[in-house]
Amino acid sequence: MADSFDVIVVGGGHNGLVAAAYLARSRRRVLVLERRPVVGGPVATDDLAPGFHASTGADVCGLLRPEILEDLNLAARGLRFLPLDPEVTAVGDHSSLRIWQDVWRTQAELMTKSPHDAEAYPRFTSFLRDFATALDPLFTMTPPNVAAPSLGEQLGLFRRALAVRRLGKKTMQQMLRMPPMSVRDFLNEWFETELLKASLAVDALIGTFQGPFSPGTAFGLVPHFLPAIHGGGWSFVKGGMGNLASALALAAREAGVTIRTNAEVNRITSTDGRVTGVELSNGDRIAARVVASNADPKRTFLHLVDPEELGPEFLVHVRNFEMNGVVAKVNFALDGAPQFPAAADGVPAHFRICPSLEYLERAYDDAKYGSASASPFLDVFVPTMMDPELAPSGKHILSALVQYAPYDLHPGTWDREGDKLGDKVVGLLEELMPGFEKLVVARQVLTPRDLETRFGLTEGHIYHGEMTLDQSLVLRPVPGWSRYRTPVEGLYLCGSGAHPGGGITGAPGYNAAREILADWIRISS
Amino acid sequence: MLGGAAVTEEVFPGFKFTVCSYVCSLLRPQVIRELDLPSHGFEVIPQESSFMPLPDGRYLFHRGDEADTFQAIAKFSRRDAEAYPRFGRLMARLAKFLTPTLTMTPPDVGSLNPSELWKLYALNKQVKTLTEDELYTFARLMTMSAADYLDEWFETDALKAGMCSSGIIGTLLGPRSPGTAYVLMHHYMGEIDGAYRSWGYVRGGMGMVSESIARAARSFGAEIRVNAEVRRVLVKDGRAVGVELATGERIDAKVIASGADPKRTFLKFLERSDLPADFIRGIEHFKIEGSSGKANFALKEAPSFSALPGNGPQLQGAISIGPTVDYIEKAYDDAKYGDFSHRPFIDMCVPSTLDPTLAPPGKHIMSCFIQYAPYTLRKGTWPERREEFAETVIDTIEEYVPNLRDIILHQQVLSPWDLEQMIGLTGGNIFHGELTPDQLFFLRPTPGWAQYRTPIKGLYLCGSGAHPGGGVMGAPGLNAAREILKDWALLRV
Repeated sequence: MADSFDVIVVGGGHNGLVAAAYLARSRRRVLVLERRPVVGGPVATDDLAPGFHASTGADVCGLLRPEILEDLNLAARGLRFLPLDPEVTAVGDHSSLRIWQDVWRTQAELMTKSPHDAEAYPRFTSFLRDFATALDPLFTMTPPNVAAPSLGEQLGLFRRALAVRRLGKKTMQQMLRMPPMSVRDFLNEWFETELLKASLAVDALIGTFQGPFSPGTAFGLVPHFLPAIHGGGWSFVKGGMGNLASALALAAREAGVTIRTNAEVNRITSTDGRVTGVELSNGDRIAARVVASNADPKRTFLHLVDPEELGPEFLVHVRNFEMNGVVAKVNFALDGAPQFPAAADGVPAHFRICPSLEYLERAYDDAKYGSASASPFLDVFVPTMMDPELAPSGKHILSALVQYAPYDLHPGTWDREGDKLGDKVVGLLEELMPGFEKLVVARQVLTPRDLETRFGLTEGHIYHGEMTLDQSLVLRPVPGWSRYRTPVEGLYLCGSGAHPGGGITGAPGYNAAREILADWIRISS
Repeated sequence: MLGGAAVTEEVFPGFKFTVCSYVCSLLRPQVIRELDLPSHGFEVIPQESSFMPLPDGRYLFHRGDEADTFQAIAKFSRRDAEAYPRFGRLMARLAKFLTPTLTMTPPDVGSLNPSELWKLYALNKQVKTLTEDELYTFARLMTMSAADYLDEWFETDALKAGMCSSGIIGTLLGPRSPGTAYVLMHHYMGEIDGAYRSWGYVRGGMGMVSESIARAARSFGAEIRVNAEVRRVLVKDGRAVGVELATGERIDAKVIASGADPKRTFLKFLERSDLPADFIRGIEHFKIEGSSGKANFALKEAPSFSALPGNGPQLQGAISIGPTVDYIEKAYDDAKYGDFSHRPFIDMCVPSTLDPTLAPPGKHIMSCFIQYAPYTLRKGTWPERREEFAETVIDTIEEYVPNLRDIILHQQVLSPWDLEQMIGLTGGNIFHGELTPDQLFFLRPTPGWAQYRTPIKGLYLCGSGAHPGGGVMGAPGLNAAREILKDWALLRV
């Protein structure tokens, strides 16, 4: 090997690229190894059919940290956002509701459904925006050391508490009361319109193996309000999500990172509790003092690292890490724009089928006992409505997130169920958009098992592990190991399995890079 | 009659039932000691064994001691048998850490008053007595579901189901609902004679708890009037000045302490105009939907379970029907959508096997706690559907006790609606409101009002709707009395 590297990043997902870019900016020699021919993982643009450039994995972006956008100057590297407005059109039984970026516009729309809800809506959004604003700094914070919190950490937490308290005693108490609530109970305190409640609940439930009646789901509403605080709101990436990955890769390369694709890491090597490098599937070994794994915790600790290095207790925790995926994707290439009778102005760029909270809960019930939902909820994107260049002129791409589709089916296997799932989605869409089925030129079904094999997401979990309260902050991914470090000296986690979790924030990579640099003196000695 | 839900009644001649609650262990030792309840007739008979028949004819039966428990569980899984005592010790350790909070007045979180901040600091110090690992376990218990947490420890479904059930009793949640793991630990707080996780019967029925406390109260000079229904709390210039009875009689007092639940106290006894609007909203949001019913049977002879026939020691402890985690979760699914469980979870006991005074010679009483039976039914009303509910319960038990119908002399089935009618539990909720983290501690019953005081001067809460909640603990009353006396000393009353 001619080159030698300080840091090897295993996996070129967005977090791996962020970590690599920041480390390289601090003059570390960094190598990113990516199994696939392209970087980005599920932040990807692929051709569904000739000329149809679809975001096959993630559809939208909104939580990417403003620090990263600015530091890595991603705008100059070709990253453009196309904000969704209306943010979403919720569709239920014979009715629809648009939620706009502008609170007052949403209020006006709600007025026709329920004056009570219209009155409550602005108070609701300002409560959640305040909450999200107060918690925002936690995203780029390393969870505190519980055993011996440093003065700085104590001060940081005290300042967060103060920020919440500054909103008033009553607001603070409501904020303490909300996280353990179910999203249904919380929304019922505010609203009466089922469609509004169901659509808001979907925001809190996407990617999680819980239903709207499950306690703890209310907290999922909070991060949903972050994009609006940072500016643009939830957005498509112009040209497809893959452009976010390529902008990050470009920033990383310009900072000096070497990126190798088609390079699958088979093993993270170590001796005497200290990382020594990696071994590729072709047998090549590459040495480095630091390895940062962008793979999820189960892949990292159960497949890549020698179990002897980790100890039985740690491994028990890793095995108990909940990451049973519940999301499937079905992507379509369409010959033309479908009819959309539910809305006056044609197909919305983002709509969801979620008639009521009970509909969502019943969809969850099926998954609880091991089956895909008989009637799933769909979160649907038609990016070509805002970015026509993604498809040949007059043609469209439609991409549906389907929940609940549990990775672990019992009975049954996804080999047999995948096509059935695709047909079910076509059926639901056909009902909403008569003639839809005839427009389909190509269809791609990605079951949780496909998400696993295609993108390397263990158990198909889009967030690298459930984002429930018991797997958050100091508990993510393993209690006592939330600070990006691992039992193996020199091995770090830099993916969504670490705090603050998934959602394309880039924060795990950003935070891991900072911790690696903080440890550097110890590592290089 | 005194005692609300903790009463013993001779419903059928010769058969004495504790109509509602049936076991005791959470009653605070401080209350027992300071009121000298034993000398007023309070005595606990330990209920040591636990018996769970399974539909396939197998069963899980163990008594209190470790060796017996090990044998019983090892029949299913040796690994689980080994893990069981470790689990118990961890829960007991954490429960012990929580116990002091039961008899404390919650801090007013968010207040900048130095004494309140001091309380928070003291709590933080208390937290620091836990090791780092215990702290993580505690945080996970507060947020995980009982099923998920037990999955980490055990592999035997029947064992997990039995343990899960204590995580869901009295709540409108299922074993897969996050937050229910906490209640597993709550049940290790039972401390009769200092032993953790030991529940017991009260000799003479649960009515003796109330009766002995009443005797103690009278001995200190309290006057107790029964058949005196309060209709209204009288308020003058924002201060409680007395009560008005259903008969129209008015009684003046400097202090009113309400043992009624928060909804009844604030929404029925008071005028809305007496209270701030956001306080009323908070009380309206208080979750108090009952989820359980009771069935009391007078039996010709002892029930005989097909899994383990005869009148043996298995009848002397807790008996539960709820063989798998999915069974209980499915029972919850029915309730989620407004129906009673088609196959409910049933926790029962035959206290007459230990206390023969409760039934005529040779005959028995069987008390069944039934879950889920939601207060609000989507179809029909409880009076219309009570019979159907009773049949469901008997059908369920008959799957384990085949001749049950032949030995029933009398039966009494109570829905949450009946509990509301009979003893004034709003929504039929046995805990005066859900014991979920959003309505516990400094949030119970509503944020900012967890210190037993209310927006009306001189009116206090002293029932289970206040911290630390229900479970026949006596703690809300104890804490409320302390706060009332404190205000008295400061001449605030």
